[in-house]
Amino acid sequence: MLRTYMAGALAGLLALGTASIAWAQATLDPALKDYKPTSGVSGNLKSIGSDTLNNLMTLWAEGFQAAYPNVKIEIEGKGSSTAPPALIAGAAHFGPMSRPMKSSEIDQFEKKFGYKPSAIRGAVDALAVFVHKDNPIKCLSLQDVDTIFSKTRKGGGQKDAATWGDLGLSGEWKDKPISLYGRNSASGTYGYFKEVALFNGDYKDSVKEQPGSSTVVQGVASDKFAIGYSGVGYKTADVRTVPLAARAGDACYDATSDNAYAGNYPLARFLYIYVNVNPNEKVDPVRGEFIRYVYSKQGQQAVLKDGYFPVTNLIAEQDLKAKKMM
Amino acid sequence: MPDSAISKTSAMAPARAPDAVRSRSTSLRARGEPFVWLLGGALAFGVMMIVGFLLLVLWNGIAAFFPKPLAEVRLTDGSKLAGEPTRRERYPVTPEQLGKLASAPRAAILAADGVSGRTLYRIGNYDIYNEDFRWVSDFEVTTVAYPAQLMFVERREWGPLVGSAVAMKLGNEAERPMAAFSAAAVTAAHREALARWERIRHLERGEIGRINHYLEQGRLRVRRAELRHGTASAEAQTARAAAEEQARELQKSYDAFSGEARDLRQRDATHLITFAEIGGKTKTLPLSGVVRMYAANDLHLMDKLAVYVSRWWEFLSDEPREANTEGGVLPAIFGTFAMTLLLVLVVAPFGVVTALYLREYARQGRLVSIVRISVNNLAGVPSIVYGVFGLGFFAYILGGTIDQVFFSERLPSPTFGTGGLLWSSLTLALLTVPVVIVATEEALAAVPRSMREGSLACGASKWQTIRNIVLPRAMPGIMTGIILAMARGAGEVAPLMLVGVVKLAPELPIDGFFPYIHLERSFMHLGFHIFDVGFQSRNSEAGKPMVFVTTVLLVALVAAMNASAIIIRSRLKRKFQGSQF
Repeated sequence: MLRTYMAGALAGLLALGTASIAWAQATLDPALKDYKPTSGVSGNLKSIGSDTLNNLMTLWAEGFQAAYPNVKIEIEGKGSSTAPPALIAGAAHFGPMSRPMKSSEIDQFEKKFGYKPSAIRGAVDALAVFVHKDNPIKCLSLQDVDTIFSKTRKGGGQKDAATWGDLGLSGEWKDKPISLYGRNSASGTYGYFKEVALFNGDYKDSVKEQPGSSTVVQGVASDKFAIGYSGVGYKTADVRTVPLAARAGDACYDATSDNAYAGNYPLARFLYIYVNVNPNEKVDPVRGEFIRYVYSKQGQQAVLKDGYFPVTNLIAEQDLKAKKMM
Repeated sequence: MPDSAISKTSAMAPARAPDAVRSRSTSLRARGEPFVWLLGGALAFGVMMIVGFLLLVLWNGIAAFFPKPLAEVRLTDGSKLAGEPTRRERYPVTPEQLGKLASAPRAAILAADGVSGRTLYRIGNYDIYNEDFRWVSDFEVTTVAYPAQLMFVERREWGPLVGSAVAMKLGNEAERPMAAFSAAAVTAAHREALARWERIRHLERGEIGRINHYLEQGRLRVRRAELRHGTASAEAQTARAAAEEQARELQKSYDAFSGEARDLRQRDATHLITFAEIGGKTKTLPLSGVVRMYAANDLHLMDKLAVYVSRWWEFLSDEPREANTEGGVLPAIFGTFAMTLLLVLVVAPFGVVTALYLREYARQGRLVSIVRISVNNLAGVPSIVYGVFGLGFFAYILGGTIDQVFFSERLPSPTFGTGGLLWSSLTLALLTVPVVIVATEEALAAVPRSMREGSLACGASKWQTIRNIVLPRAMPGIMTGIILAMARGAGEVAPLMLVGVVKLAPELPIDGFFPYIHLERSFMHLGFHIFDVGFQSRNSEAGKPMVFVTTVLLVALVAAMNASAIIIRSRLKRKFQGSQF
């Protein structure tokens, strides 16, 4: 359900002609506004949440602090699930999450404050399935991914994929068992992958759970027969991304910005920052300016720098309007 | 050894001494030599593991900053790339790749059992290529050259750039090609740009930061008055008037400083340098955006050493850049040091007092032994449990209460109610206090009974005896306990992640504003920095050298702190050497 929503939203954006750029140069929407610092912004901000967004938050913080040297931003990233409790306890101003909040988390928030948390869609990520750079595999459908990673196989796959031969590889790969790398359960990436690629099934017990997105890539890089999933931003020269198809038999699409925007790539998602904004009050200047910075040309350039895909001006305007900031 | 064996051999050669008649193998076992070998071997193995690990870390860490040559590689498809060769490996070429090759290289690869070599190049220019590293197989390469004009440029943003400098524009002059500038002129212009950048940073962070700090103080004073006496009270109104008066004063100097910063920024934007990368694209950036640039293939040993030293200096004295993957680790060094020092300040008196009571005053009975067992068991609790306890008890309960009583004007932003330096030190103090207690108890027990009795017989009270006789002699042992506690505390990361260590701490815990030491601030830590750069950074390949360098630094810091404690201990020991029988 979430995926269809994503695909719809992203495809709609493409239809508006806001994004169509080649992979090697995922570039910015030229309509994004330049960030103009205003005066009188200072204070402390604290962000607690996703580790996928850890670097991006740091880059945003560095850029924001360059514009406002007196704003202090602290960043903690231990996983998306740590964001809602921190927001509810008031321990953090921003809660970056690599998945949307669950309804139970929103309910808890609403119980305390009487209104829902607001979400900022700060970047687009294509969750990539990585294999070793020498792996010849051409394409996987989500069903294949499900048979590789899941023990329940809710995607409808008949046979468990235990060796690379089960996925159609021959030669030295045929009898080699697939070595699985994944994220720990506090991570939003874990939850998103479980929901979309595993059709809400359960992970196999043999998945090696890693504490960070980069660790997954390092694991795959050092293990020739490995497969793992992580944000596309963490790709290194030692791994390659596998093109994915939404259904068996469909065309495969690589994890590129084009395919993500067009809704063709089945594991594209937004990366969110949740904030506690009372809809009846104005956002305080520090947080407001930070949100504006994220949606500016400079902010989205940081997204590119971190290897993710920038959002378009349309998304920026929608979200800013929702917070009565435009 | 079986008895029958002795009787038999001694019967055969009765004249020899009993030792000599034993067969060689039995005597070996009897003397315990296999065990000597086993123990010695285990020790040697352990030492080798430690030395090997240290050598690995040292080698990788020390070599990381040395400038490497830049290769220009021409490929068979006509394209070119330039970069630092980083590592090489051999791999089996797939049939598909072989199929695409011409016959000569194919035959060569087949002759080598289908195996080819490949090299990983650090090509930089992430903003242009969207990748930092690229693998190049040997059969793809036509020529490799090391041209003198290729430069390695470390930028403030986007990581390194590899290319050649083509033009420079200084101020209002027209842009001129690089050939028009002498090497000294380029260095001077770059140095000037860096100085300007430092000045801008000083103005914005230091001067304007100070003004903002005072403004914030004023706002808090008003808020405090409002909370205490009500919004409409006379006190609140006086505070508001005072704050406005102060704000008007500060605004004047703010305008002056921000004007100067703005002028400098404008000036800075007119000093530009343009590089051409290997693919033909050009990139223009402000001169101050270049941290360091050098023509990698045109360096003498002294130049290389200069680059090496300046990289180390940047690493030790600067703040991190680009989400911690570049720049320095000064805040992390400072945080680790401050935390460990604070830990010792807490753990030493607490541990020693506890041990003194247990050993000297408490009546040795069941209760005391239960306490002792409990203390010993505390050392075995997993450290993350302490972290959870620290977060729940110190940060949330204690800190939350402190916030409500003393810092209510800052709520809902927590002051002590979240992780920070103080809570981290206290948590680690809890973690390490058993070590100090046990070591101190042992040291107290080792002071000879005769000395205490002598002192008591001379009419000294119990406390005087402890103070003047027992404690000084136990001091070296107590110091050992403190050293062990310090070493454990400095290397511990897991609990700190819960109680105050962050990826990016904006301020050091010590600065020029009252009360100068800010124990509530969260901080950066070298151990966590290693975890963060190694496992969380976008490009793990580029982060690797940083991981090793930071590890070297952490090991060195712990060694230095231990060494200073050991020196103090040996001084103490020497002091009492003469007074022993």
